[in-house]
Amino acid sequence: MRRLLRRLALLPPVLLAASVLVFALPRLTGADTVRTVLRTRTASEAPDPVTQARVAAEFGLDGSAVEQYFRWLAAACRGDLGVSFVTRTPVGSAVGDALTISLLLTVLALVLAVLLGLPAGVYAARRPGGMLDRTVTGAGVLGVSVPEFVLAPVLVLVLAVHAGMLPAVGWGTPAHAVLPVLTLAVYPAALTTQLIRAETIAVLASPHVRTARAKGLTDGRVLWLHGARLATTSVLSLSGMFVAGMIGGSVVVEVVFGIPGLGRLLHEAVLAQDLPMIQAGAMTVIGIALVAGVVAEVAQLALDPVARERSR
Amino acid sequence: MRRLLLLLLVLVFGLSYLPDPLAVDYGAILAPPSAAHLLGTDQLGRDVAARLIAGARLTLGLTLATLAVTAVSGTVLGAVAGHLGLRAVPRIADVVAALPTILVGLITAAILGPGLPSVVVAVCAVGWSPFTRQAYHLTVRETGREYVEAARSLGAGPVRVITRHIAPNIAGPVLAHLCLRFAGTLLTVSGLSFLGLGVQPPVAEWGAMVADGRTYLFSSPHLVLAPAVAVVLTASLATALGRSALRE
Repeated sequence: MRRLLRRLALLPPVLLAASVLVFALPRLTGADTVRTVLRTRTASEAPDPVTQARVAAEFGLDGSAVEQYFRWLAAACRGDLGVSFVTRTPVGSAVGDALTISLLLTVLALVLAVLLGLPAGVYAARRPGGMLDRTVTGAGVLGVSVPEFVLAPVLVLVLAVHAGMLPAVGWGTPAHAVLPVLTLAVYPAALTTQLIRAETIAVLASPHVRTARAKGLTDGRVLWLHGARLATTSVLSLSGMFVAGMIGGSVVVEVVFGIPGLGRLLHEAVLAQDLPMIQAGAMTVIGIALVAGVVAEVAQLALDPVARERSR
Repeated sequence: MRRLLLLLLVLVFGLSYLPDPLAVDYGAILAPPSAAHLLGTDQLGRDVAARLIAGARLTLGLTLATLAVTAVSGTVLGAVAGHLGLRAVPRIADVVAALPTILVGLITAAILGPGLPSVVVAVCAVGWSPFTRQAYHLTVRETGREYVEAARSLGAGPVRVITRHIAPNIAGPVLAHLCLRFAGTLLTVSGLSFLGLGVQPPVAEWGAMVADGRTYLFSSPHLVLAPAVAVVLTASLATALGRSALRE
């Protein structure tokens, strides 16, 4: 617990540094944000100074960059993340709504990945080099090599267009979630399988498993009680890595399937140069990725005495 | 290895024989694969096979270039930090490695505008961290060994110890890691282009080709399938190569 708190204490300064970067960099490129906003709004290349000043005041773009940053930071600490340049609605609630959807998507995919990967890895480890093992290993290589942006259209083509069983795009009903979750689950499922397989093989070769066998335990009990349980530890440690990959993957999945999640929100904000939305969305995702990394690391240390000893 | 050479051969031949990837032929729009157009044509009548090869040059070149930069800088940083015991370096690398590259790509695209520079900056900004972590841990392990102590007691400085003694001993795992990162980098680079944040039209790039073809998924699936197969094949070949290198 103390370790968790100590690691988490590292995060605020990192997040603060990230916020400075996210906030400052767009302003360093010299792009005139007020002008960009006005151009998308009125399509006029040379707006009058009065309008410029009004828009600047409305979006908090007046004053120096440092001033703007601290005003933004103070407001952000109060929970006010600003107003979208495009929709003029508060950014905070938009990010919140989108985050709920993205989290649901990611959690469902993670559950599916473990449900697929755990048994596949354990059974493959039972007879290394056997038929099942080679199939699973091959599928694993394919699984980490197929990007979401390839898998999604192919799944749509096969399951939505040809078989006509599922809707191709959209969000709202459980049927809409099937293809996105499936797409997003393939990468973590492949990684889980490989890890579980490698770990189970290592565990099955260790002395305590031989003892268990000698005591007369059946193959199945040895495999599940001794092999699989230890292997789970190593998967936990790598789940932090999954999260980074899955956040990236969910951007693609949400864009392809038209899901109003955080990834698509951010993608659209970037294409529209909607600064408040980019800042809020990016900070949220960075925060989640960092917290997930720390939690996974600490969870592993809590479960694995050897790693704990090494990290001293 | 032989399979990789074969792929290289296809690239070289393709570059010299196929038609112009930007040549527009309105007489043959969305044509299915035929003798004239091996993989058919796209919505502007451009030869898909030619675009695939042109895309290979760009996608693979970009992947290899960014991978080389990040691997060298990351490994050097990790080795130096490991040898000198700079514990902050792997900590920072841990934090950076937790960032999704696609997200960083979104942010750099917001700053620099969508395009190749934004992709390169994003991939390099995150890509060094896994190499640093690996090199750090390997170097810490090697530094504790007797041969390093022996070299040091003979008067070798840190630079000489790292380059002449430690480097050869950690090169194997680092190279295998490089092969394994190839697929991830390739998928990130083309994924960013797929999202419209990388190369801009009309330049041919695999991810961008998949994105373009999605509009015609129902009528002309070959537009998506050709670049999709290319991406998956290249990524899985590189992964398999890395695996076998790791086993040796």
